[in-house]
Amino acid sequence: MASGAVAGCMGALLGLGGGVFLVPFLNAWFGLDFKTAAAISLVTVIATSSAVSAGTTGRNLINLRLGMLLEVASAAGGVAAGLTISHISDVTLERGFAGVAALIAVLMLTRLERRNVIQDTTVDPGSLGGRFHDDESGGEVIYRVRRLPVAMVVSFIAGNVSAAFGIGGGILKVPVLTAWCGVPMRVAAATSSLMIGVTAVASVPIQYANGYVNPPLAGAAVLGVLVGSRGGLWFGARARSKWLKLLMAMVLMLVSIIYLRRTL
Amino acid sequence: MTDERPQFERLEVQIGRLLVTGVTISALLLAIGLGLWLFDPGRWNALWLLNAGLIVLMSTPILRVIVSFTEYVAMRQWFFAGVTIVVLLELSVTVVVALSKGNR
Repeated sequence: MASGAVAGCMGALLGLGGGVFLVPFLNAWFGLDFKTAAAISLVTVIATSSAVSAGTTGRNLINLRLGMLLEVASAAGGVAAGLTISHISDVTLERGFAGVAALIAVLMLTRLERRNVIQDTTVDPGSLGGRFHDDESGGEVIYRVRRLPVAMVVSFIAGNVSAAFGIGGGILKVPVLTAWCGVPMRVAAATSSLMIGVTAVASVPIQYANGYVNPPLAGAAVLGVLVGSRGGLWFGARARSKWLKLLMAMVLMLVSIIYLRRTL
Repeated sequence: MTDERPQFERLEVQIGRLLVTGVTISALLLAIGLGLWLFDPGRWNALWLLNAGLIVLMSTPILRVIVSFTEYVAMRQWFFAGVTIVVLLELSVTVVVALSKGNR
């Protein structure tokens, strides 16, 4: 319950599902095998997605059109991984988990100072871009979406990674959307939070039918994550983007090191 | 540029309401189920409630996609209605595979 609460809090803060924290806890400390830990984590990802998104609607932060477009790719990735996951060994999965976490941490650290908002409100944001009220800039800001194919490819990979490792997949999408596709951090986080629910649902029912989801454990984890995500929302509205990115990178590095040590 | 923002804000509010309802119902089912299960793990209704909570939880994002589809059709945003249908088809593959495994 407590780990679920902490994971939910961190997840809500970073636009991730919180699974990056829950999977290592259930797997390494609680002793569940990797696939069971990943499946339970993926169930909590759905809860985080719904709860966090419900809390951010009405502020123009969620880009519904971009989200739905990217879901075509992320859901396909989720379905593909959901169908093949039982043929992959746990050690392979754990190594992949370490690699993905380290890669993204490095990417985040190199983009700390970048901001993607245009403060001139007469610029046309295009059919996929948008505008929202940004407290850091003190007014309404506009952004345009660039390099959509990159975002689609990454969303597919994120869907794959999400189903295989029990994480939301925001771990991949948020950095790429902010670093290469012109989407501001808060919009990327809010849109990703909404998307991960659908991404997780693209594979969770198969794992549920395979018996990887233990109902009492999943129930406890979901309730913990729901409590924790309230705290994350409160804190996320008050923290600065730069510190969010720094925190994200540090935690990912730690997770990566833990998993590399386990599998070597 | 025509301003479509009010329509999109309406969709956002509807989705928000749907997500709150889904999460609340599943959290209640899971909390009651978990309470009963901790009290007596053998109770049939404890597992039933826990599973019901998980199924409601899994259904919420799917319902969100369905609501988005009907709204895009109402807005005559055919491109995004088409995109939404593709997402729905992908999700239905998973649900069909899961149901066929569950029945075996």
